[in-house]
Amino acid sequence: MNWRNPESMNVVIGKVLRYGVILSGTIILLGIAGLAATNGLSDVSGMLAYNPNAVPHDSIDVSLGGLANGLVTFSAISWIELGVIVLIATPVSRVVISVFLFAAEKDRLYVLITAVVLALLLFSMLVTPFIPGFHA
Amino acid sequence: MFVLEFVILMFFVSIFAGVFGSIVGLGGGIVVIPVLTILLGVDIHFAIGASIVAIIGTSSGSASTYVRDKVTNLRVGMFLELASTSGAITGAAVAAYTNSAALETIFGSILLISLVPMVMKIGEDIPKSPELRGVSKRLGLAGSYTESDGRVVNYNSTRPIEGLAGTAVAGVLSGLLGIGGGAFKVLSMDLAMKLPMKVSTTTSNFMIGVTAAASAGIYFARGDVDPVIVAPVALGILIGAAIGARILLRSRNTTVRKFFALVLAVAAIEMILSALGVSV
Repeated sequence: MNWRNPESMNVVIGKVLRYGVILSGTIILLGIAGLAATNGLSDVSGMLAYNPNAVPHDSIDVSLGGLANGLVTFSAISWIELGVIVLIATPVSRVVISVFLFAAEKDRLYVLITAVVLALLLFSMLVTPFIPGFHA
Repeated sequence: MFVLEFVILMFFVSIFAGVFGSIVGLGGGIVVIPVLTILLGVDIHFAIGASIVAIIGTSSGSASTYVRDKVTNLRVGMFLELASTSGAITGAAVAAYTNSAALETIFGSILLISLVPMVMKIGEDIPKSPELRGVSKRLGLAGSYTESDGRVVNYNSTRPIEGLAGTAVAGVLSGLLGIGGGAFKVLSMDLAMKLPMKVSTTTSNFMIGVTAAASAGIYFARGDVDPVIVAPVALGILIGAAIGARILLRSRNTTVRKFFALVLAVAAIEMILSALGVSV
C-alpha cells in the first residue's frame, strides 16, 4: 500500500475501524453465548441493580486484576468487558494511526492537530478519572 | 424477565437504534436510553453508560464504511475533534458545580430553536458552495464525494471558528451529561460551515466515537457500564450501524435532512422532559 497516497488514508482508517468492530463484536458475541448458557434463565433484575452508595455502582469487579482473573476462568461477564474495551479502544487507535498517516503525507499541520487530539483524548480517558472533583 | 429475554429484546432495539443513529450522526442513545429507563426500569446511570457504548459502536460501525467511501471529511473531523475533546474535559471538570436539569432545559431549548433554520433548509440538496479562504483554506477544509448515482459533489466550507465553537458546546455536553453531542456537531457543520448534509452527519458519526471514548474511562471505572446491558446493545448497534451506513449512501441529502430534523425534535423534547424529571 502506498502510504503517501491520500486515497490510502481513507482505506487504512476504514480498515482500522472495521477490524476493531469485528474483533469486539466477536468477543462480545462469545460473551453473550456464555452468559446465555450459564445465566440465561436467571432473573435479570438482580444483575441490573444499581447501587448509588458504592463505587463501582455495579456488582462486577472493574479492576484490571479482576478482569484478568475473569478472562482466564472464562467468566462471560469478563469476556464481555474485554469486548467493550476493544470497542472503546477502536476510535482511539484510529486517532493514533491518523498521526502516522498525516506524517506519511508530510502534512505537519495535521500531524500537530491530530497529536493534540490524541493527547487530550488520553488525558481525558486515563487521567481525569483520578482527579478529585471531576465527573461528579 | 429472564436474562435471555432481556438480551434478545435489547439486541433488536439496538439494531433499530444503530440504523437511526448512523444515518443522522447521533449515537443511538436517543433510542436506547428511553427504552432502558421508561420501558425496562433500568437506572439512568446504567442507561447513560450503555449510551456511551452505543455511541462508540454507531460511530466505528458506520464510519468504517463512510470513511472508505470518502463521504466523511477526515480533515474537518480531525480539526473539530480539537474542540470536542477539550469540551468533553471541560464538561467533566465543571460537572460537579452544575445543575443538570438547568443544563438540559437550556440545551434542549437550543436544539428546539435550531429546528427553525434546519426546517427552512428542508429541500436543500447541495448547499451553494462558499469560497474557500482564510483558516478554512489553510486547513484544507474542502472535499468531494460521489453520490450513488455517480454524480461527483465538490464542496468547500466556511466559518471554521463558529464550527469549532459549536463543536466545543457538543463536547461540553457530552462531558457533562454523556449525551447530546452528535446533534450539536451536525448543526455546527451544517448551519455554520455549510457542508453538504451527508458530509455533516457522516463526519459527526466519525467524531462522536472519539468524544464518547474520552468519557468512557470514567463511566467504566464507576461501574456504570453494565456488561449484561451493553453486550446486546453493542452487538445490535454494530449490526444496525452497518445497515444504516448502506442506507445513507443511497439516500439523497434532502431525505437525510428531513430525517435529521425529525430526530432533532425528538432529542430536544427528550432532553427537556428529562429536565422536568421524566427519566428518559
